[in-house]
Amino acid sequence: MNAELGVFGYALATALATGLGALPFAFVRGVSRRAVAIANAIAAGLMLGASFGLVTEGTRYGSGPTLIGAAAGVVFILVTERWLSGRAVTVGAGDARGARQAVLIVIVMTVHSFAEGVAVGVAFGGGMTLAVAITLAIAVHNIPEGLAISAVLRPRGASVWRCAAWSVVSSLPQPIMAVPAYLLVEAFRVALPYGVGFAAGAMVFMVLVELLPGALDAARRPAVALLVSATMVAMVLFQRHL
Amino acid sequence: MHPTLTVLLYSSVAALSGGLGAAPMLLRARPPMVWLGWSNALAAGLMLGAAYLLLASGGDLAPFAIAAGAALGIGFGYFTHVASGTEDLELNALQHPSPDYAAKVLLVHTLHAAPEGVTIGVAMMLSAPLGILTALAIAAHNIPEGTILSAILTSGGASVPRAAGLTVTTRVGQVLFAVFAYAVLAAAQATLPWALGFAVAALIYLVMAELLPECYHQTGPTSVAVVTILAMGLVVLLGAWLA
Repeated sequence: MNAELGVFGYALATALATGLGALPFAFVRGVSRRAVAIANAIAAGLMLGASFGLVTEGTRYGSGPTLIGAAAGVVFILVTERWLSGRAVTVGAGDARGARQAVLIVIVMTVHSFAEGVAVGVAFGGGMTLAVAITLAIAVHNIPEGLAISAVLRPRGASVWRCAAWSVVSSLPQPIMAVPAYLLVEAFRVALPYGVGFAAGAMVFMVLVELLPGALDAARRPAVALLVSATMVAMVLFQRHL
Repeated sequence: MHPTLTVLLYSSVAALSGGLGAAPMLLRARPPMVWLGWSNALAAGLMLGAAYLLLASGGDLAPFAIAAGAALGIGFGYFTHVASGTEDLELNALQHPSPDYAAKVLLVHTLHAAPEGVTIGVAMMLSAPLGILTALAIAAHNIPEGTILSAILTSGGASVPRAAGLTVTTRVGQVLFAVFAYAVLAAAQATLPWALGFAVAALIYLVMAELLPECYHQTGPTSVAVVTILAMGLVVLLGAWLA
């Protein structure tokens, strides 16, 4: 098997693992306002934790580029948000605000997968000896990201299968970006901190501007604080040690 | 300088800087609501930045001990709020009918200072420059928090110097817990991941339970997000520049 195909295959496997994140929502039915708020808080903690990991990774390659990337990520979300609120989007039975959040989270997580795909490719560029270990690590790391997407989509009326499908779609840029990054490691190593910073900035901004206000609207403060802090620390430890 | 004295010095700077937060009250008796919103967002961003600094440089420590410490930190935030009956208290009311409102807010601020002190102690243990940066981030965040507290106290009839004095008093816990945490950590290195998990989780808990819920009411989510992320980015940048 040639190496490029190998990188693509491994990265595709990690993308498919993202779909597993929808699994817990097979057992959740209620779509009350409170359930949406709770799910928002969980997604907020997971995304905050994931972006902490990305920034740690990015600053290793260059802190200036990471911060420039993050600023671009913030602007990207601002512009996308304006653009989305200008048109009618609907998802399932949800209201307009819910639909905007659903579309936004899929966009944000897809964009973040581009950066992660580059990181995977650059990691494989170090040699294929660790390929299986890296693949397993990233596959496991993707599952809670699928959980974050499903936590936003499911309470807004998407079925479990749809949640899983959108989770996988959001991760497809990983295999697509991994191959060129693997082939052109040196060039992509320069681009990596910008991409990783962009993803982190977009995620933190999405958390602050959409998910947390939504969570605090309908759930009590102690519940939101508890869920965000617990899932955030869990995400950082999970992604760093698995 | 002996490291314990460094901890004492910088945590004292942090506590004292809270008094500066009263300065805007000299200009205007009652600050506009958006000032309070931006103050909250600024403080929240600096605290998130401090949490990032600890995780970025100490996240490779024993993960189960960090997780256990984090559970304690979340438990601290939750139970101190519930036990003091402040878990649903509106924290930024400039006119509150209840006569013991100011006392309750002072209590919340005093409790809030404890994990921030632990944060300074943990950061100093990880490295002296990190400790100084973290203490300065906490110091900077004390100023907007001091502005909010002073606005509440002066609208309740307190003079500006008195509001500044009370703000510093609520931050004494930062000094006590910084020195205490540092002393324990220096004596028993094994407690470091526990203390780190405790500090990080408690910081995030307090940001989510005390700071952000208030500012979303005071100003729009977009400006909250921009101010928070700018403050956080500044701390991250300074941390990367140190490393």
